Amino acid sequence: MEVIKINNLVKRFPMGKGYFTALNKINLSFEKGEFAGFVGPSGSGKTTLLNIIGSLDTPSDGSVIVMGKSVSDLTYKQSARLRNKHIGFIFQTYNLLPVYTVFENVEFSLLLQNISASERKKAVMEALEWLDIADKAKSKPNMLSGGECQRVAIARAMVKKPEIILADEPTANLDSENSHRILQTMKKLNEELKVSFLFATHDEKVMKYLDRIIALVDGRVASDEKNISKLEIKV
Amino acid sequence: MLKFIFKGIIRDRSRSLLPIIVVIIGVFITVLMSGWIKGIFSDLIDVNANFTTGHVKIMTSAYAENEAQIPNDLALLDVDELIKKLNSDYPHMEWVKRINFGGLLDIPDKNGETRAQGPAVGRAVDLLSPHSKEAERMNILKSIVKGSLPTKQGEALISNDFAEKFGLKVGEKVTLFGSTMYGSMMFKTFTVCGTISFGSAILDRGAIIIDISDAQIALDMNDGASEILGFFNEGGYNDVMADSVKASFNAKYSSADDEFSPQMFKLRDQNGLDRYISLADSVSGLMVFVLIIAMSIVLWNTGLLGGLRRYNEYGIRLALGEEKSHIYKTIIYEAILIGLIGSIIGTALGLASVYYLQENGIDFSGLMKNVTMMMPGVYRAKVTPDLFYIGFIPGLVAMTLGNALAGFTIYKRKTAKLIKELDV
Ligand SMILES: Nc1ncnc2c1ncn2[C@@H]1O[C@H](COP(=O)(O)OP(=O)(O)OP(=O)(O)O)[C@@H](O)[C@H]1O
Ligand SMILES: [Mg+2]
Repeated sequence: MEVIKINNLVKRFPMGKGYFTALNKINLSFEKGEFAGFVGPSGSGKTTLLNIIGSLDTPSDGSVIVMGKSVSDLTYKQSARLRNKHIGFIFQTYNLLPVYTVFENVEFSLLLQNISASERKKAVMEALEWLDIADKAKSKPNMLSGGECQRVAIARAMVKKPEIILADEPTANLDSENSHRILQTMKKLNEELKVSFLFATHDEKVMKYLDRIIALVDGRVASDEKNISKLEIKV
Repeated sequence: MLKFIFKGIIRDRSRSLLPIIVVIIGVFITVLMSGWIKGIFSDLIDVNANFTTGHVKIMTSAYAENEAQIPNDLALLDVDELIKKLNSDYPHMEWVKRINFGGLLDIPDKNGETRAQGPAVGRAVDLLSPHSKEAERMNILKSIVKGSLPTKQGEALISNDFAEKFGLKVGEKVTLFGSTMYGSMMFKTFTVCGTISFGSAILDRGAIIIDISDAQIALDMNDGASEILGFFNEGGYNDVMADSVKASFNAKYSSADDEFSPQMFKLRDQNGLDRYISLADSVSGLMVFVLIIAMSIVLWNTGLLGGLRRYNEYGIRLALGEEKSHIYKTIIYEAILIGLIGSIIGTALGLASVYYLQENGIDFSGLMKNVTMMMPGVYRAKVTPDLFYIGFIPGLVAMTLGNALAGFTIYKRKTAKLIKELDV
């Protein structure tokens, strides 16, 4: 099943009197359960592309169809609903809400879905256990290490059981040990729950885990390699 | 969700402290000033009611027309009969007769020759009946400087200023010269049983206070009175009730053709009090309005600052799939919660201060020496029921308005812009 379909996507940003083209005629599609990533130099358009797929931004031209819905046609309400139900985000800087506990941070998405308190609690604790941070449920983000914060962020992304998780440089602030741990967890999530992952990254460590690497250069797809040897990853 | 918002407010002091302080200050000022204004005006009303206007007052229409000249030749007659009827018609009220009079006070020396003389403004009230509340009503007991209340006919209280000016001592005699109800010359000698000072120029100037029975005899006003005052037994002045009593009395007892027929006036009809009462209401309203504007502007700005600091949070919440309109709503809920907390604290502080000022007034009598308006000397605030909620109006309105304006700035920003500010 196709979860994302991108046709002739163009994204322009106004610059001075004209435009700056950040994404130029992108054509891609992703199946359910892929573990793929965009790589490329800084400014090549990776974040821009993830944001459009996540319906946080809109295409200037072309179409992006996520879970069967064209993101440019969605109302505010519909795009919020798409993000809330189907898409999880993971950021480089974790972006946890500092005043809330780990539990409350993970709970937030469910709070928006009118899920009962007992069901919320069950789902949150399940996610925290999955990421091996249930003992930190009552802690505030500022008491956690970077690796723990990123695990909370993953728990927050997966708790609502989305079809797609978009991860923008998730390991950039982590040391190598923590990076591997996070990546293994995400891979496990991908394999066991069939969640599709899309990364944007510079990180060699991340690339080793990916099944598919799409190289972006100046807003264009320069290469798209699938079925990279799985053996390599396990080493 | 409310719980979630509440936790955010409580835990993030920088989010709530400044606005709460602003709300507390604004609400505190509102409550304190309203209590103060209420107190001053209600004292003003009480003093007027107790000394001259009653809650309602009955005079003949002819007397009323020239009231300032105290035309006792036009006074009410058969007042005991009238009071009996009033008591049965309006049992929830107390009715008292009063006689006002002018004259000359003459202080004789040992030989009975005039030692000093001065104009006097007299008030005759019921001081001798065992159940009379008049002395208490007019605060006479507390206002006595030397001596005591009259205990029998022939005794008089004299203004302390007057007594000091003429070296008059308690126990000495004064003679009152004047004219009777029928215009003939009268004089009567009284023993000074005490001196009195109300702390208000208009009440103290050349005052003599005697029992009503003495005045009726001296002024030849058998069963007559200048006026009958009515007071509601419970609560203070109530304009609606006063209106209905006035209407029913006038319909029953007053006749337009007979200028000697009794006619009732309510407090608001007299002494220009109507204007003061309306003024009290509009001053409170104006103050609330001004505070709403001022606080809204301050809270708008604190809301903007707070919002700027929280772009990151809003970006995350958008990414998690919260709708922008929902974020805007939570900003408003937050404002209402903060407004409520601030209003509760501000109201509590305000009420405490008002209560303190109610129990311990501030003495302005030094400043009021030459004020001729009938005003109390000590200013007190007053705790009234509306003080319990009046502060919530500016507290909630300003906080909500300020944050609605601030939140709108955030609301207008594109989702992509907010996300951009997330340092992803
Ligand atoms: N809102 C915007 N307005 C104008 N230009 C933008 C905007 N967002 C992105 N750009 C430009 O688009 C290009 C692509 O940006 P993008 O953030 O997608 O790059 P990236 O590949 O994620 O880079 P990095 O690896 O540094 O994160 C950049 O040149 C950037 O300056
Ligand atoms: Mg980027």
